[in-house]
Amino acid sequence: MGTENIPSTVDLTSIPSSLVQFHQLDKLRMLARANSLWPMTFGLACCAIEMMSSGAARFDLSRFGAEVFRPSPRQADLMIVAGTINKKMLPAVKILYDQMTEPKWVIAMGNCAISGGPFVFEGQYNVVEGADTFLPVDVYIPGCPPRPEALIEGILELEEKLTGTRRWPRVKPETAVKG
Amino acid sequence: MSTLLGQSQLQETFELNIGPQHPATHGVLRLKVTMDGEYIVKAEPVLGYIHRMHEKMGENRTWNKFWPNLGRLDYLSAIAYNHGYAGLVERAAGIEVPERAEYIRVITVELNRIQSHLLWFGAFVLDLGGFTPLMYAFDEREQILDLLESVTGSRLTYCYFRFGGVYNDIDDDFITGTRAFIKRFRPQIPMYHDLVTGNVILMERLVDIGHVSSEMCRKYGATGPVLRGSGVNFDIRKNEPYSVYPEFDFDVPVYTECDSMARYMVRMKEMEQSLRIIEQALDKIPDGPYIAEKVPKMIKPVKGDYHFAVEAARGTFSMRTVSDGTNQSYRMRLRSPTYSNLSLFEEASRGMLLADALAFMGSLDLVIPEMDR
Amino acid sequence: MDRAKIKKELEMLAAEGLPAEEPTEEAAPEPQAADEEQDAKKSKKAAEEPPRVNGLLETDYNARGFHLDVQVNPDQVVAAAEILDREGLTMEMVTGVDWLKENQFEVVYDYSYTGGELFRVVVRARIDREKPDIPTISEVYPGANWHERETWDLFGINFVGHPQLERFLLPDDADFHPLRKDFKP
Repeated sequence: MGTENIPSTVDLTSIPSSLVQFHQLDKLRMLARANSLWPMTFGLACCAIEMMSSGAARFDLSRFGAEVFRPSPRQADLMIVAGTINKKMLPAVKILYDQMTEPKWVIAMGNCAISGGPFVFEGQYNVVEGADTFLPVDVYIPGCPPRPEALIEGILELEEKLTGTRRWPRVKPETAVKG
Repeated sequence: MSTLLGQSQLQETFELNIGPQHPATHGVLRLKVTMDGEYIVKAEPVLGYIHRMHEKMGENRTWNKFWPNLGRLDYLSAIAYNHGYAGLVERAAGIEVPERAEYIRVITVELNRIQSHLLWFGAFVLDLGGFTPLMYAFDEREQILDLLESVTGSRLTYCYFRFGGVYNDIDDDFITGTRAFIKRFRPQIPMYHDLVTGNVILMERLVDIGHVSSEMCRKYGATGPVLRGSGVNFDIRKNEPYSVYPEFDFDVPVYTECDSMARYMVRMKEMEQSLRIIEQALDKIPDGPYIAEKVPKMIKPVKGDYHFAVEAARGTFSMRTVSDGTNQSYRMRLRSPTYSNLSLFEEASRGMLLADALAFMGSLDLVIPEMDR
Repeated sequence: MDRAKIKKELEMLAAEGLPAEEPTEEAAPEPQAADEEQDAKKSKKAAEEPPRVNGLLETDYNARGFHLDVQVNPDQVVAAAEILDREGLTMEMVTGVDWLKENQFEVVYDYSYTGGELFRVVVRARIDREKPDIPTISEVYPGANWHERETWDLFGINFVGHPQLERFLLPDDADFHPLRKDFKP
């Protein structure tokens, strides 16, 4: 959740709470942002490989305008937390998030980023149980690791959150399995 | 280079921090580098940014419940890690494995090895500034992932083996698909060489850079392509045969140049050899059960220490466990190959240009979660 | 590499440590463990397996995964490493085992040979849990540096003479050793 003035629901009529309001202009800006999300090249563990797969030949994330992976947080507006965060990594992730310029969004990719995933057990000493314990997460993508399609769907969900409309038709589960 | 260092010793050095989030470190490795201009005085890797308590988890759950962890150690050659654990517990508990299961294991492990090397190839050339090979490599890699997904059910973090066999039999679709893949992939390798290997920029970045002698490998315990790139003919599949590997005819590529290029070539050749193994295994695979019938539900190995080593894509992965006779391990130790392979980095990178050191690090083929465990 | 020579030298080394080691080893853990609880169970267990005495065992490779199993005194691990280093073996890993009941740590060193022939040696040493000091072998095998540092990190076993015994896998401010059996987060 980048800033408070971004509507978090699908409601088109809600007006951002900035001092000077340009409703149509804000909508246009959001449309532009949603269609060119710049994720940060930020892989933590296994999910990062699926993130690479999403960007590579077959799944081709650039079809959805989100393929410009930036190594520098200053140039990125989307943090995909792809992997397990542990207590040693936690400060670094925080710094990276703080370094990103507003507006910015967070996707928690994979079970580890959602809740600590398979590495949570009674008496565990090192894993942070979910990125949302310290970051405002916008979209959660379950899976261990999630398939590239799931990441793409997550990005589309985020787009929907930003603009209020869905750009691509939703695939019904029963049709998606075939093939 | 040494004279350069000598002359500038009076100058001040400075500390450079690379990582834990840096595209060249392949994940969350951190390097604390002391630099003298562009030359490295000391490069100290800092680990632990993805320590996920695998060894602790090995101690607090039953043998069966530890399976999913094996897929998440080295997620690029996860099936080889499955194999290591299967071998360890089968050795400890004396479980017999049907021959068909061993063949399936070998086929899937070798497919997994190819995809691991492919990803390394793409990412490594990407590190050096070439983007196109990544796309080619991922294209091939997806073919393998499809094949493996059809039998294992997952794309990356496989949990496919069981004690006494595998979870799922392979079918005709898999066999024909694998044959088709071999036919398709074999001519691709010369294409990769045409595309990448002879490239002047690549040669400049790799040849005679990152010298790792065989003695250094021995002192640091480096294994896998790093060791074979230093002229030592050592492969667990040949030297400490396990599973049905002795039945296949394959070579162990060895290069004596000891540089980054040698390690690159070893991996490229290994893909060809893996294809050979898969081909033979598909020809020879016997019928029969794919999992042993009499596997006890509750596994209780006899007290004592057990050790088992396999050749994963990055080198010797060995597991050591201490059993106290219960259905849990008393101590589970995972010896990951890149841990030892990277430990020589500090010594080998001394006096290197920073850019070369990162290319050298790429040639070690690191997977950080496997190092940190 | 000469297997027979390694075996002989390690056997001699282990034998050297015997007289000093044996009485203290056996005397220290037994009484403590015995009086506390479940006398019957304990005495049965003690009867089954007395603590291992220093020495060399030839193990069945197919059953265990290694050929030689040597237990030496803690102060002899460097000598053992030197013997194996002379013969060209590789240090594969160093690790610890926490034997809480016996109030001891066991430090285990795995060596293997990468020159062709298959040969795996395990060297182990028992140290007191209260005073877990053992000399470092990182002078002999620089690769042991990381392994020992990790073992210190996770077990709190103090490798005397280690150049950099700092937190390795855990954050710098960690104040616990998680793989100890009595570890509670």
